[in-house]
Amino acid sequence: MLESIKVLNTLLPFFYMAAFGIYLYDFFNEKKSANNSKRVILFITLFFHAFYLVARMIEYDHPPITNKFEIFSIIACAIIFSYFVLELLTDIRGTGAFIILFSLVFQFFSSINIEHTYIVPEVLRNRLLGLHVINAMLGYSGITISAVYGLLFMILYKNIKSNKFGLVFDRLPSLEILEKLSFYSMVIGFVLLTFAIVIGIIWLPAAFPKFSYSDPKLVGTFLVWIAYGVGIAMKLFGNLYGKKVILFSLIGFLFAIMSLIITNSLAKTFHSFY
Amino acid sequence: MNLIGISINHKTSPLELREAVHLTRNEIVEFIPQLRKSLLSDGVVISTCNRTEIFGFPLFQSLDSQPLIQTLIDFKPKLGIKPEHFSRYFSCGAVKHIFSVAAGIDSMIIGDSQILGQVKESFEISEDLEFSGSVLRRIFDTATKVGKRAIKETTIGEGAVTVSYAAVQVVEKIFANLEKKSALVIGAGETGELAAVHLRDKGVGKIAISNRTIERAEKLSEKVHGEIIPFQFLNEQLHNFDIIISATSSDDFIITLKDVQTVMKKRKGSPIVMMDIAVPRDIDPEVKKIDNVFYHDMDSLKVIVDQNLQKRKDQLPMVNKIIIEELVGFFGWYNSLDVVPTIKTMRSFFEEIRNDELEKIKHKLNDDDFAKVEDMTRRMIGRLLHNPTVKLREYAETGSNIKEVTDNTVILKELFNLNDRPPHEEKKNIEEKVEEK
Repeated sequence: MLESIKVLNTLLPFFYMAAFGIYLYDFFNEKKSANNSKRVILFITLFFHAFYLVARMIEYDHPPITNKFEIFSIIACAIIFSYFVLELLTDIRGTGAFIILFSLVFQFFSSINIEHTYIVPEVLRNRLLGLHVINAMLGYSGITISAVYGLLFMILYKNIKSNKFGLVFDRLPSLEILEKLSFYSMVIGFVLLTFAIVIGIIWLPAAFPKFSYSDPKLVGTFLVWIAYGVGIAMKLFGNLYGKKVILFSLIGFLFAIMSLIITNSLAKTFHSFY
Repeated sequence: MNLIGISINHKTSPLELREAVHLTRNEIVEFIPQLRKSLLSDGVVISTCNRTEIFGFPLFQSLDSQPLIQTLIDFKPKLGIKPEHFSRYFSCGAVKHIFSVAAGIDSMIIGDSQILGQVKESFEISEDLEFSGSVLRRIFDTATKVGKRAIKETTIGEGAVTVSYAAVQVVEKIFANLEKKSALVIGAGETGELAAVHLRDKGVGKIAISNRTIERAEKLSEKVHGEIIPFQFLNEQLHNFDIIISATSSDDFIITLKDVQTVMKKRKGSPIVMMDIAVPRDIDPEVKKIDNVFYHDMDSLKVIVDQNLQKRKDQLPMVNKIIIEELVGFFGWYNSLDVVPTIKTMRSFFEEIRNDELEKIKHKLNDDDFAKVEDMTRRMIGRLLHNPTVKLREYAETGSNIKEVTDNTVILKELFNLNDRPPHEEKKNIEEKVEEK
């Protein structure tokens, strides 16, 4: 099992490179053959990555969340899983390269730096923690994908407004579709983040005697959750359209990233394991 | 092949001359008997707004296309029209030209999708009037195949190449589901009509027409199954539409910046597309500065048209490759028409020898033995002639080189003295050859 894990750890960045390469090739050339085969390659990548994570969990007897680079691998997997589901639901296949690039970067750094360790703090072996982290990662993947689609929306928006009808105009789906993709990803991210917060609220007080609701990481995550919640509500009930929805997604994403950086690097929190 | 043809088109003559010789369907029906009477055994007359062409096989040996030109000029007299305004085609060049026309690469707008249908329709007229032979049918069947292959295998027909269609293409990059959108076309002139038809074809949920002259608006709204917005109430209704295309001949702006600011307030910022395809412009270009207002005028739409035309031009080598492939295939078939009678003559020559020899021994053998000898000689002749027959067919069907086919048939005829065979066996007319094949 350990050998398989090591082999897959080496191979995964190459799988991602292949998936990224074929999606990028298709974006520029729009070949029917590539259009069909790229989804197969993406599925194979996803399958092996999921297998790799499960294998790690079995071999090391803890969820793969015990160090930064295991988390990186989970983020990479979560991003392409979310994208894969979105692609299946919408059958819009032209934007994959922009999403898979994120997974490729995360998995590349994970594969280079990841350690194969059996000894971890007891608290990190908890299955509920695993569920909490995976939900949080999927939630953040959702808002990341939402931001990527938001960015693509803004690029196409600017292109159309300024009469630039080049590659971006030819290959990207319509603004309305990009807006929908961004919004759906945002909703999926928000729901998963909600699960992560609920699981955290159930599990954290039992696991940590020093638990505090005023913990910076908790406050930061909660603020991000509130911000997205307000955005979604405004879109649904306040008739928010087009560029405004997208700006909300992009600003929300920046806010989430800032919150993560500040709470992980600057603030002292019980919620820090690495 | 003695196919001849003439063409007056956008490359050879100005618009007024092309218009002058344009033939309607009824005129073609009236014109074909004149061609049949003294010029062509069978032929096709193609007439569109940009070209009038006549192709066919001459009744007599002369391959001069001047009488065709003169007959057309006599039929549609026009001052100033001269034979120099016509291109002339012959044999392979004529077939290649027909294929190029069907593929849309000879059109004024490269990749024109309507021409293939017009070519098919022209041939159907000839068929209806029994003015089409088998070879001509094969040429036009192949031309249709060329046109279809060009559309399927290349992108020669893709992308908007008219301003009206470019406007619709931009709309499609903004809205995903046009069925749920409503469009307003201001101006019921030619450009407005084209835009309205494109929108209807793209399945826009609701179309409305507004025009100063209500009768024209009614006529267009009937055509696109739309509703009418009275011109004087235009501004009050603007906010109800996601797409506004304006193509009037007004000298001043019909829609001002202030109008659009009001519209966006009423729409709560919901995106709106405004296409100004009028000269001078109908919509204040300042509106493009407003968020979620997508304004485009003739200049910006022309950018798309020019880009798409260039992309179509880039496809020309691929379409020409298809034309050459189909030309090779067609002439392979055509060349094989000469081979069929030769094969038939050769086989009957051998059959006659066999029968002669069998006749000589008939009385020397009993019935059973004769039957055996007869069977054996038939199989022997069959085996002896199998290879030459197959080879001859192969030469004819795979090579477009008529010389190769002719050389082989001539050698065969000389070797077996087939040239002296009765003419009725060899000189079948071309229709019979096709039927035999």
